Amino acid sequence: MPLPLYYFLSITAVNILMSWALYVPYRMAHLHFLVVANMAISGYAAAYMVLSLHLPFGLALLAGFAIGAAVGFLVALFIGDAPTFAVVIVGFTFIYIARTVIENTEAVGGTMGLFGLPNIGGDPAVHRWTILSILYGLVLLVGFLIHRFDHSQLGRAASAAFIDKDLTTSLGIDIRKMGILLQTFSCTLAGGCGVLYGFIYKSFHLDYFTFHVVGILMTFIFVGGYTTLWGAVLAAPVLYGVPLLFPPEIASWRIVIYGALLVLVLVLKPEGVITTRFVYRVEALLSRKGLKQPPSTNP
Amino acid sequence: MKKMAFGVLATLLLTTGLGFAQTNVAVSEWQIPFLNCLTGPLASHGSMYQWSTNQAAADINKAGGIAGKPVRVIGVDTANDPQKGTVEMARIVKESLVALGPVPEPVIMAAMPIAVENQMLSITGTTSYEYASKFFPWSVAWFPPYPKRFPPLAKGWAGQFSDMKQVIQFVEPFGPWPMMAEAHVAGLKEAGANVLKPVEVPSDAVTFGPLVVKALEQKPDGIIFCCNAEKVAKMIKELKSRGWQKMDHILVFSSGDDAPLYTVGGEDINGIQVYNYVNPDIDSPRWNAFKTAFMKDHNGMPPFSLSTNYYDALFMIKEAIEKTGVTGDPKKLKEERKKIADYCANVKGFQGLMFSWDMKDGGPTNKPLFIFEIQGGKKKLVKEIKLAG
Repeated sequence: MPLPLYYFLSITAVNILMSWALYVPYRMAHLHFLVVANMAISGYAAAYMVLSLHLPFGLALLAGFAIGAAVGFLVALFIGDAPTFAVVIVGFTFIYIARTVIENTEAVGGTMGLFGLPNIGGDPAVHRWTILSILYGLVLLVGFLIHRFDHSQLGRAASAAFIDKDLTTSLGIDIRKMGILLQTFSCTLAGGCGVLYGFIYKSFHLDYFTFHVVGILMTFIFVGGYTTLWGAVLAAPVLYGVPLLFPPEIASWRIVIYGALLVLVLVLKPEGVITTRFVYRVEALLSRKGLKQPPSTNP
Repeated sequence: MKKMAFGVLATLLLTTGLGFAQTNVAVSEWQIPFLNCLTGPLASHGSMYQWSTNQAAADINKAGGIAGKPVRVIGVDTANDPQKGTVEMARIVKESLVALGPVPEPVIMAAMPIAVENQMLSITGTTSYEYASKFFPWSVAWFPPYPKRFPPLAKGWAGQFSDMKQVIQFVEPFGPWPMMAEAHVAGLKEAGANVLKPVEVPSDAVTFGPLVVKALEQKPDGIIFCCNAEKVAKMIKELKSRGWQKMDHILVFSSGDDAPLYTVGGEDINGIQVYNYVNPDIDSPRWNAFKTAFMKDHNGMPPFSLSTNYYDALFMIKEAIEKTGVTGDPKKLKEERKKIADYCANVKGFQGLMFSWDMKDGGPTNKPLFIFEIQGGKKKLVKEIKLAG
């Protein structure tokens, strides 16, 4: 496989998974930026396990998921039913905390970072195929789970909570438990993504996990469409890939193009390019059952 | 007569050989990709590096090119983004003979493993030995390791002042900067100074008064800044507003010697000392031409620290190509990549823009450091620190 294609595909997969990690809690209006901190925490921890404790990659990856889940669960105990703004603040704070702890921890390279992550299987080609298989296996698995969630009672409860938490509570839904579940799920996913992200680059540096990442993920979700999981599937490869094809003269304007696109979409199509209604129509078309009235345009 | 005939024959063979070396070149133009941060938060640095390589290419082409063929540096923007840098490096390694960059450290760490795996030299000319050495032999370091270069420097600076008993450092936790600060400590102690607890400068700091107060509480009589240039300038202003007078007892590290130090600092930085690898007072035709061109294109500012690195790097590539008979033939890509890497890792007496130096196993052994005093935006050489070879 050509190298540029490998990097494009693997980073795109991470971007899709991370956008979903942000999308799932946002179904009940939680913008959970803790996922970016979790990427760093799990990634660095797994790298330490591989480089210093000489544990196999598979074990380190599982540990990455587990650490993500543990951090996500513990934090969710406190903010499972918090308002959107509080969740945002906690997420940002955790990014700061994670960065500061890593900066001051010599064992994980401090501000220098960690070098020389080994090839999985001892061979670059095996490494690449393993990474791609795991990533796209995850995309299929997580995509399926989110699809099921979106069409479930729980998904409808999350949609209700997105609109009005008090009303949702009055219907007998435990908002806090749902928040804990969704936040823990997204943090677990982010933990695994952090490990895989570092193994794509074969290194870790704190600047892989900045607020820039938050901005990029937000763009993917809000341009692609925040009411369905398909928004990220469309936006991640397009917004990441198209600028790579720009000639150098236009490439310099990449950030301006991103910004303008985001503003345009927010003004002209606030729900993003792909909406629930659109997905419902496609599903109906595919199942040849004709169009039905969509249940809601909310997430 | 026989001797004379032998001499003529030898000369003919030599010149013919040289002729062959030139006619064997398989490219009509040498194209050197440069993975650089042309947009994003470090774009001002990136544009300066790009300017330097373009200037080097122009100078090389004016003098006949590389092995008779012109050279072109192709700027490839990484936008300070590892995601972009890796894809660009993956494209470059497919057919490039050698590359420049990447810039800066996060992109180096993400993209250099690709160069290593594909055995292509990429000269990371602005990072420290501690980063570059991780990718040897497919990178070369432009600076000696910290423990070699900073203790003598710090000792040389502190040794100027008999009244300097307590020194404090402002350290921003970015990349190698904390390690640089740590390396100063040994030299300061050798000079007999007591090294106080450093003050950490957060990368996102916007107000600096509290940081300066925190430092002054420890009653330092010497200060070293290891932070971003703009932050240094703002903290010096804070220091002055709180009565700091011994301006030459302030030392700014090499990465802080950048445009914002002068533009933000203005008159307030008069008298402070800075160290770096560029000595604008050197008087040689080559340096003078570079300096004049740089000042013309940078609003009259003299060349900044790191401004010459990629200029020299392109000349080192030129020398490697010419002296090892590299042809640029795609069929010999692997073999010729190795020739260039081996040559650069151990070149002796390389004639840089300002001075000549030797490389050993990928690192320079005898590059000097300079300490300057700043007056009215201009640097006056205080002393040269020679590192052991």
